[in-house]
Amino acid sequence: MSRLEVERLSVSFGGVRAVRDLSFSVAEGEILGLIGPNGAGKTTVFNLVTGFVRPASGAIRLDGRPLVGLKPHAVARHGLARTFQIVKPFPRLSVRENVTLAAFLRHPARRDAEAHADAVLERVGLAHRVTVAAGQLTLLDQKRLEVARALATGPRILLLDEPMGGLTPAEVGLASDLVAGIRDGGVTIVLVEHVMKAIMRISDRVLVMNQGEKIAEGPPSRVVEEPAVLAAYFGKRRVA
Amino acid sequence: MRRAAPWVAAIAAALLVPFAGPGSFVLHVLILVLMWTTLGAAWNVLGGLAGQVSFGHAALVGVGAYTTMILYLKLGIAPWWGMLAGGAAAALVSLPIGLLCFRLRGPYFSLATLAVAEIVRLVALNFESLTNGPVGFLITALPPLHLGGWAVNWESKTPFYVAAVLLAAAALVSTDWVKGSRLGAYLVAIREDEDAAEAVGIDTVRVKVITLAHSAFLAGLGGGFYAFYFRYVDPDAVCNIGLSMEMVFIAMVGGLGTVGGPLVGATFLTAVAEVVRGQLGLGHLVFYGLSMMLVIRFMPEGIWGRVHRLLTRPRGAAADVALGG
Ligand SMILES: Nc1ncnc2c1ncn2[C@@H]1O[C@H](COP(=O)(O)OP(=O)(O)O)[C@@H](O)[C@H]1O
Ligand SMILES: [Mg+2]
Repeated sequence: MSRLEVERLSVSFGGVRAVRDLSFSVAEGEILGLIGPNGAGKTTVFNLVTGFVRPASGAIRLDGRPLVGLKPHAVARHGLARTFQIVKPFPRLSVRENVTLAAFLRHPARRDAEAHADAVLERVGLAHRVTVAAGQLTLLDQKRLEVARALATGPRILLLDEPMGGLTPAEVGLASDLVAGIRDGGVTIVLVEHVMKAIMRISDRVLVMNQGEKIAEGPPSRVVEEPAVLAAYFGKRRVA
Repeated sequence: MRRAAPWVAAIAAALLVPFAGPGSFVLHVLILVLMWTTLGAAWNVLGGLAGQVSFGHAALVGVGAYTTMILYLKLGIAPWWGMLAGGAAAALVSLPIGLLCFRLRGPYFSLATLAVAEIVRLVALNFESLTNGPVGFLITALPPLHLGGWAVNWESKTPFYVAAVLLAAAALVSTDWVKGSRLGAYLVAIREDEDAAEAVGIDTVRVKVITLAHSAFLAGLGGGFYAFYFRYVDPDAVCNIGLSMEMVFIAMVGGLGTVGGPLVGATFLTAVAEVVRGQLGLGHLVFYGLSMMLVIRFMPEGIWGRVHRLLTRPRGAAADVALGG
């Protein structure tokens, strides 16, 4: 069964057609890799699905329930969480308070929310930094915090926007394990990532975008061989 | 509320002051300080806790003051009930304002509050059948009140002082309560990053509308008290931008988002502004502007915020913002 369905989604900014007539679905328990060159429209897809940007046309359904027109907080309440490519911590609050604020969504009592936040922080490897102000973290830890905060809202599906940018190969390995672990815990995942090694390793399926459109979709190993993908994506980027 | 005992003690101590036999001038000054504390705290709930800077809070004070006047002079409802009704009316008026203005963020929100305040001032000035226009309202005699067999003497400052203590206590205690609650945590999140707050499921518009209503209730209460105490209200007295600025000033100088800040700010404003106005003949708005610039430059956490930080062991920068004050 489809957890998330996106149907003929479009939006423009001024003259730029950031997303054009895009359709895809994500099955329950799947990891869908979403790739494409810079400016392809990946982040905009996340903004549309999470209610930060309203589509000009198209439909979005989470477990059959329409999402278009809902505000971001309502989307989160329905069980769809996201991270931001450009991290948005609550900078002057502690790491624990950052995640506790997200945990309040399913745990109204502070004590429960804090306990849940601590458990999530343990899982993403930030347990040793709980009292630090989020703005003081390294970028790597801020990316972890993004994941922790999204996870603490108790989502059924998680949209991760380049969570591994700037990580060393060893860290990418750990992050990939974390993402796979989150999926194994029952959370469906859409992963935007430029680190191809990670995408190839953990995605069940890959969707390739270019200039707002879907240009390929399928198992990772097959998609990367398609000429259109090679031209649009790999032609511009040397992949390690 | 996180600590009930200190509050009870402080309020009780404040209520004992008249027994020490202060002169009526001292009581008058204390009444002013407490009234300004209430108004500064009203602004602080929205501007300090939630980071939503309003330049139009005089409008809400005006709604409270006019409600109190109209209920008494047209319907015979005593001003102490009128104050409560004034708070309720201001909270009610704030709802459509919030739903409208909170679609805007940052400076756009602030400009919208300025516009709303001007609209309210024009209504007060021109809707003569309701507001008496530029003439305003004057209470010539307060209604008799008997409390436990005692007839309250309206020539004395004491009953007004007691009312002012209760009002300021309501303002500060409710600030403290919000700060310790989940709502308070949401306000901090909104102040830090609105997009991130929405992304974790916080209905930012709803939280801000609720907080504006809280803020408006306190502002309306303060406005009602103004009418009750000074017995005179016209558009210039309660609907002008100077009043809005004084509320901002009190909250900022005292310490944005702190519980005790408005009391410190109000004391500073009442005491020093009197001196400046009396001795130097300086325009007091100029004085407010200069003081605010100095505070922002050298003491951004305000007087209370600075003292509080020096007195409490730092628990780390992170915890301070969330829990301080
Ligand atoms: N809020 C916005 N306003 C204007 N243009 C935007 C906005 N968001 C995205 N765009 C434009 O839409 C296109 C797609 O951007 P984006 O979704 O960020 O791409 P990606 O995440 O794939 O790198 C780009 O041309 C970008 O400049
Ligand atoms: Mg992007």
